[in-house]
Amino acid sequence: MLGSVLALAWAVVPAHADTLRVINLSIKQGHFHPQTVQVPAGEKFKLRVTNHGPAVEEFESTDLNREQIVTPGHSIEVYLGPLKPGRYKFFGDFHPDTAKGEIVAEQEKP
Amino acid sequence: MATVLFIVWRESLEAVLVVGILYAYLTRLGTGRRGMRYLFTGVAGGIGLSALLALVTMRIETDLQGQALQYFQVAMMATAATLLTQMVLWMHRHGRRLKHDLEANLDRALSTGNLAGIGVVALLAVAREGAETVLYLYGLGMETHSAGPAAMTGAAVTGFALALATAWLVSRGVRFLNYRTFFRITGVVLLFTAAGMLVSAISQLIGMGVLPSLVDPVWNTSWILDANTRFGGVVAALTGYRPHPSLMLVLLYTAYWGFVVYRLRSTNAIPSPSAPDTATLGA
Repeated sequence: MLGSVLALAWAVVPAHADTLRVINLSIKQGHFHPQTVQVPAGEKFKLRVTNHGPAVEEFESTDLNREQIVTPGHSIEVYLGPLKPGRYKFFGDFHPDTAKGEIVAEQEKP
Repeated sequence: MATVLFIVWRESLEAVLVVGILYAYLTRLGTGRRGMRYLFTGVAGGIGLSALLALVTMRIETDLQGQALQYFQVAMMATAATLLTQMVLWMHRHGRRLKHDLEANLDRALSTGNLAGIGVVALLAVAREGAETVLYLYGLGMETHSAGPAAMTGAAVTGFALALATAWLVSRGVRFLNYRTFFRITGVVLLFTAAGMLVSAISQLIGMGVLPSLVDPVWNTSWILDANTRFGGVVAALTGYRPHPSLMLVLLYTAYWGFVVYRLRSTNAIPSPSAPDTATLGA
């Protein structure tokens, strides 16, 4: 069953990948910049997390179920959404006291 | 320094707990030196593999290699979850008879394949958590503002020692239980660990855009248990609990437990030939 789900996902996902909104987030000295990321609710997007060093960081969000290592000088991409309107916290698991931020998903005004 | 101690404790806990329970398992089964050899070869291999994984992660140059590493991690977690589940189900199927035939038929009952599987589980559990610990400590060492290396090393060693102590307490506690209760309790702990690994693997695939999230999130239970707290984070790592799961996560998590409960139930239906008491595990 998992196999067929995977096959289906393979077929569907790349078709959308290029049109996705990309939002940049950087890590520096155990802090995120910006700390608040605004996104439209109900839309898929891709978060590009770049680590400007000096330390390894793990981008993590229990609100969004994401967890990924980012090494200094490199970027990772995280597929997110479509999100319901709301605030979703994320943090750097290797600097949980300083690296904090949130994604704010808002309904776009007509 | 409290953060260093806590992170090392948490990263080590899952691996040390799995190894501790496997150790108690093998002791209880009386597999002797052969079983322990598989277990400790697995642990040593896991330490080596975690250092290698950390090195590869540090050296990633392109997105493609990064993706390949992610697939590797997903494969590691899925393999460990499958082997753990298979082992618990196997014990459930054969546990009743094992009690009676322990000394006479152990070689036949507990095939080499099963012992090797235990070694692989230990290897994957150690490698997975070990790589993150290595990266974390390496990163801290590169930072100028952190406290001296001596204080850091002290906190890291204390964190690891606490993880050992925690697992020791758990395996100590279950050692005094009778045979049936022992395998029931450790079986449930291991199934939850496997489910937690599965959740991590699925989340990774969703984050990579390989699997759709369907509805994200389906519900919010952070008012009951918030995974952003330290305690909540440990529960999430050990059981796969997520306060804001996506529909895909809920479906696959439910499918996993549905499969496990179905298999446990169907084994219960078979009458045990050699044991008059209907001792069962995990049901």
